[in-house]
Amino acid sequence: MRGRVLSLTLLALVVSIRLAAAHHSFSAVYDSKRSVTVTGVVTQFRFVNPHALLSLEVTDKDGKVVTWVVEFAGRLNLSEVGWTADSIRSGEKLTVTGNPTHEPLPRLSFQRIVKADGSELRPAAAQRNDALEEERRERAKRRTQQP
Amino acid sequence: MNRLLALSILLALPSAGAAQAPLQTLEGMWSNPPTTIIGSACAFYCTDVLIDRLNALVDDPANDRTPLGQLRADASARERAFIESRLTAAAKETYPLDPADDPGLLRCEPWGLARQMFAPHQIEIRGRGRDEIELHYGEWDARRIVHMDGRPRPAGPASLLGYSVGRWEGATLVVETSGVAANLTGWRSKHSEQVRVTERFTRAADGKTLNLVATFADPWSLRAPLVLKKIWAWSPTSQIAPYDACEPPASVKRGVAP
Repeated sequence: MRGRVLSLTLLALVVSIRLAAAHHSFSAVYDSKRSVTVTGVVTQFRFVNPHALLSLEVTDKDGKVVTWVVEFAGRLNLSEVGWTADSIRSGEKLTVTGNPTHEPLPRLSFQRIVKADGSELRPAAAQRNDALEEERRERAKRRTQQP
Repeated sequence: MNRLLALSILLALPSAGAAQAPLQTLEGMWSNPPTTIIGSACAFYCTDVLIDRLNALVDDPANDRTPLGQLRADASARERAFIESRLTAAAKETYPLDPADDPGLLRCEPWGLARQMFAPHQIEIRGRGRDEIELHYGEWDARRIVHMDGRPRPAGPASLLGYSVGRWEGATLVVETSGVAANLTGWRSKHSEQVRVTERFTRAADGKTLNLVATFADPWSLRAPLVLKKIWAWSPTSQIAPYDACEPPASVKRGVAP
């Protein structure tokens, strides 16, 4: 199945890189300049360290089933924002967006998951980003209030 | 009133073991940095160069519409230039190391001290008996022992995490480490077996953060001492999970900047 390329903001790019950099350098394995989206059915979610892994059976337009692997931050990172081993269950249908590998492999570095009910899973760092932007707004407000 | 006085005296008394003196101020579980702009920038390590630059950029009204990631990239570039200026010619020969050559990535080899001490996520500090303090890191499930009884480093080969002795300076735990095998640093250079690290762990006045100031000296790789900082947030309910599912990547690409 061919992925759909999405545009990214620079901020999201930096956030993703730092997220995946915990155990190793993201950039040597994944292409941060591209994003791919695939839809499939979960066959396994391993909530492990250093990186959680998801196996997803994706059926392409010719009916061929390809198993994609989605790599996440580790359990240490994900559990900080409330993920558990049950955050993703076998048999679920998911739409996953991620950075592809430099080589054409069916493998992604997680950026976003949309479940069948429309709910979303995002990287921990993306969630923290909302708080950082709020801090920026507060600092700017204090600056303008200074005599 | 008398009870209060007795409690004050009790708290002021030194406890039995050298490891236990002000240990209660640091002991427990710490994890990811506070969710602040500087905390986030120091999730691995940071220098005063980065902190000062990032604060200046964020507080400059001209940058209010510039994405935070771009400001952080600017500050990081300045920090990289600062660190590079500290490297010797020998270290510069391989600097910056290609991420595709990282043995932690290629062969799941655990990190040496100069990376491990800046690992993200948890650090758990616990007293062990009278004279030892254990530093347990979430990343790689790595453990270090800090000897608090003043014993000298025993003879023997250098090791991945070196040999650490500690002392208290007030409420600050000072850890001196030597005997570290030559390895990679977190700032993409190599270091030699001559490296010596002084770590100063201090709990912030509000009790919410653990601050590390680490000073590196290595005549082979550094022209002058390099001072790096790190922040953890108090996280008593956090747990360190097994670290047992590392898999080398199927392919890597060389020459891609991190």
